Amino acid sequence: MGVKTGEFEADEIKPEVRKYVVDNFLLGAQRATIVEDATPLITGGLIDSIGMIGLVAFLESRFEVEFMPREIDVHSLDTVERIEILIRKKWAGREAGSDSGNAQQSR
Amino acid sequence: MPEPESDLLSDWLRRAAAATPDAPAIVEEGVEGDRVTSFRELFEQSAALALRFVEHGIQKQDRIALVMPKTTEAIVSVFASLLAGAIYVPIHPRWPRERIETTLSDCAARLVIEGETEGRSHPPRITDRQTGASIPWQQAPTGLTNTNEDALPRAGAADPAIILFTSGSTGRPKGVVLSHRAVSAFVKWSAREFQISSSDRIACPSPLGFDLSTFDIFNMALCGATCVLVPSHIVWMPRFLVQFARQARVSCWYSVPSILAGMLQEGRLAEHDYPALRVILFAGEVFAARNVARLQAAVPHAVCANLYGPTETNVVTWYRVPSGFDESLPLPIGQSCPYATVTVDAANGELLAGGDSLMTGYWGRDDDTGRAFVTVEGKRYYRTGDRVSLAPDGKYLFLGRLDRQVKRRGFRIELGEIEAALARHEGLLEAAAVATEVNTNVNVNASTTVHIKDGRMGTVITAFVRARSGGAVTLLEAKAHCARTLPPYMLPDNIVFLDALPKGSRGKIDYIALGKIAEALEYSELDQEGLYHGS
Repeated sequence: MGVKTGEFEADEIKPEVRKYVVDNFLLGAQRATIVEDATPLITGGLIDSIGMIGLVAFLESRFEVEFMPREIDVHSLDTVERIEILIRKKWAGREAGSDSGNAQQSR
Repeated sequence: MPEPESDLLSDWLRRAAAATPDAPAIVEEGVEGDRVTSFRELFEQSAALALRFVEHGIQKQDRIALVMPKTTEAIVSVFASLLAGAIYVPIHPRWPRERIETTLSDCAARLVIEGETEGRSHPPRITDRQTGASIPWQQAPTGLTNTNEDALPRAGAADPAIILFTSGSTGRPKGVVLSHRAVSAFVKWSAREFQISSSDRIACPSPLGFDLSTFDIFNMALCGATCVLVPSHIVWMPRFLVQFARQARVSCWYSVPSILAGMLQEGRLAEHDYPALRVILFAGEVFAARNVARLQAAVPHAVCANLYGPTETNVVTWYRVPSGFDESLPLPIGQSCPYATVTVDAANGELLAGGDSLMTGYWGRDDDTGRAFVTVEGKRYYRTGDRVSLAPDGKYLFLGRLDRQVKRRGFRIELGEIEAALARHEGLLEAAAVATEVNTNVNVNASTTVHIKDGRMGTVITAFVRARSGGAVTLLEAKAHCARTLPPYMLPDNIVFLDALPKGSRGKIDYIALGKIAEALEYSELDQEGLYHGS
């Protein structure tokens, strides 16, 4: 994919997120533990509400995006796959010059 | 408004609706802007719903379960239940279905009101659990007459008003029964002490099933103040919470310290001004003194107070943080509230709490109720299980627990309940859980690289399990199993598989040894293979 932000290519989103999840939420896990694209992270009990704060902060800084309240919830952050979709959507919005997030922020 | 004599929570709303019918009772953020409900609307909707309950055959003291987030509809349901003389039982909709069903059975709920989403788009569903019949959720007919309002039964002040379910050490949640009078004691005191008036805008992000939620809802009714509902989707998003507190012009805030800590840290609370914010209350867990000082510096004109008390007693002691609070000292839980009597059991330093705010007992559990209370010099006290000391200035200090109960983000957790949940998995033979306090001021061996994981400050719960040999339970499966049976706040942060759980000579689990492994795990004192080589 041609979409790029900072030092990241779009196809690097999943491995980056997966690494973050394993490093922060699967302490002491056996090497065999694999976080699949569709592994439920929040509804599957890996990440709780406090963990979500960390995850959101990570996504915002690593992928240079800024989320708005209704953009993120348990559903949109629940799997590596959906997180990738979310980030791509944010990038696409910015590319199109219609970052709805910033427009809403000044309400 | 002068304080009413009545201790009936439903009377307060009736009175506010008569005194200030057009004043805003509830403000709730909606997709299309704020939705404001006046006291007249709130009372009419609640009374009309209460009448439908009565017409349906709901009797005094019947249980009405509210499986809904804290929305306008939820507050209407609270007052409708109370106006019908019934008891409301708040249950968080994000609890696993199994736990919700167990709780509904435990309290033998007659009606269940379910509402998942915030906003008006999906009206709540009301179902009779015995017959399966449904009661329509509809807008109140305007101009409710005194005649049909008289059809509503009247509860007594000593009658139960709420059942709050908390973690139980044997694996089943316990229902704490609070009477109208018990709730009234705390709310009336807080209204006086913090001078709450009709100009106040009160926000409390705690869910309805949390005793903190008696503060905003009932001070609204008692004082004619406005209850500003915190959208549940931002409760754990500090940046938006800070924005909310500012834009909604919140004047009284009441939450657990974890939420305030997030607002200070990730939410950068100190970077903005909050001219309307005059009272900040916190309760439910220990608030690090450093954060209390930061909070005071960020909102210097606001009164900050630490409120203490288990669900069984609501708030019984309090401490007003003095200006220039010394952050090198622990934050006291303070002195007893005027409606409470507290004393210390000299034998073990346990705080005993009595007085008007005391629970009636645990729902349907006479044995547990008997064990929870102790009589000293003719007075009934609740054994808090909290170890305290009394400082020379007459303020109590919290020292720790006498049992295995822990507090995490203000939620109370019996570690035994997590162990029981894990042990129910057919592939697991044994489970033991420990709590570790994680903070940045930790001293670890200088040769060890310390890396504290994101979002892992405060109380971290690590569960150790022994799997059936030849079994194929993975870490993800064990975590998913917990998510199916335990509420989100109770999920263990780590699950560690061991070939054998360390035990003492008498066969009891060695929790101290497990605590050391858990700490090593948090501070990454592990080798490349994830193994711990500590002493």
